[in-house]
Amino acid sequence: MRLLRRALLALSIASVIAGALRLRGNGGVPPQEGGWRELRVPDS
Amino acid sequence: MTAIVGVLGAGVTGQAVGRTLRHRGIRTAWFDTDGAAARRAASRLGGVVLASIDDLGATDAVVVATPAPHRPGVATLLAEGCHVVSLGDDLDDVPGLCDLGAVAEAADRCVVVGAGMSPGLSGLLARFLADQLAVVDEIHVAMHGTGGPACARQHHRALGSRAVGWHDGEWFDRPGGSGRELVWFPEPIGPADCYRGALPEPLLLQRAFPDADRISARVSARRRDRLTARLPLLAPPHREGDRGAIRVEVRGAAADGARVTQVAGAVGRTGDIAGTVGALFAEVCADGRLAPGLTVAGADSVPTAWLLAAAADAGVMLQEYTGIARVAHT
Repeated sequence: MRLLRRALLALSIASVIAGALRLRGNGGVPPQEGGWRELRVPDS
Repeated sequence: MTAIVGVLGAGVTGQAVGRTLRHRGIRTAWFDTDGAAARRAASRLGGVVLASIDDLGATDAVVVATPAPHRPGVATLLAEGCHVVSLGDDLDDVPGLCDLGAVAEAADRCVVVGAGMSPGLSGLLARFLADQLAVVDEIHVAMHGTGGPACARQHHRALGSRAVGWHDGEWFDRPGGSGRELVWFPEPIGPADCYRGALPEPLLLQRAFPDADRISARVSARRRDRLTARLPLLAPPHREGDRGAIRVEVRGAAADGARVTQVAGAVGRTGDIAGTVGALFAEVCADGRLAPGLTVAGADSVPTAWLLAAAADAGVMLQEYTGIARVAHT
């Protein structure tokens, strides 16, 4: 029983850590220059 | 007499195929296992409804816009003498579709694999950008959005499965949902976190650009999507799909040796973009402008400029990025 409780506790902690690792990060930095414009394709 | 193009699958993407074919003045024949869906599509967009899938054999080309797998149906249609355009984007299905190239060549027919938005338009844009460079080293594709419900389910599976990529001349695989990269898509989509997924894009682009050292593909996802990727789809997908975008980055060298990065993209309803590209590929197949055998978007033999111009004419908003392309890694 004690072994089972420890295993469940270990699994719970592992799940929390895995979830945190999967969701970590704070996004990124936007492009500092440039932008999108219509693409002109030359007629073939 | 104009060609008749069959549309197999009358869902969101299939209807976009029909819309483009009507715009191009091409006759359409519909088949869907849901007969009511085929009848609705025909009443909205014109064309005839076929009673049996075997009747598609009478058309000049068939666009397959059904959920995966496509290989069995495509093999049957090739055997019946049709050109076939597959909009499939299932990593498990695409290698088998590519193997049908030899069958198609023997039958003097074309099979186009990956003729949607990504793969599809992505390859066309990659070729358009690559033609501006002397040497192509890297191609990186990212996509946002899904077409119909089947496409959304495929997107969900892709995030929970192994991803493939081409890196320094070798294939690698990584877990789906890894490799987060913040990607700036054309407006109004803007920034979105993108991740590796079970996407066939690298397999097809590597065929079109065998000299490229690195090829990768990512798909946008919310953190919740990523966390639940290995579970069944929890919420029902949107019936009509949503707005999507694609971004293609090609890195290489100019003729004078300078390092150059070119970026292009497109934005619009995902199903509409995919359907437009599929329909245009069907037109070039039926017109005999593609050589028999396997064709992938981005290949040298594809009339890329014509396809892009026709896509723009059909309403696909093609964009290019000006300035310095900077991608922030986290």
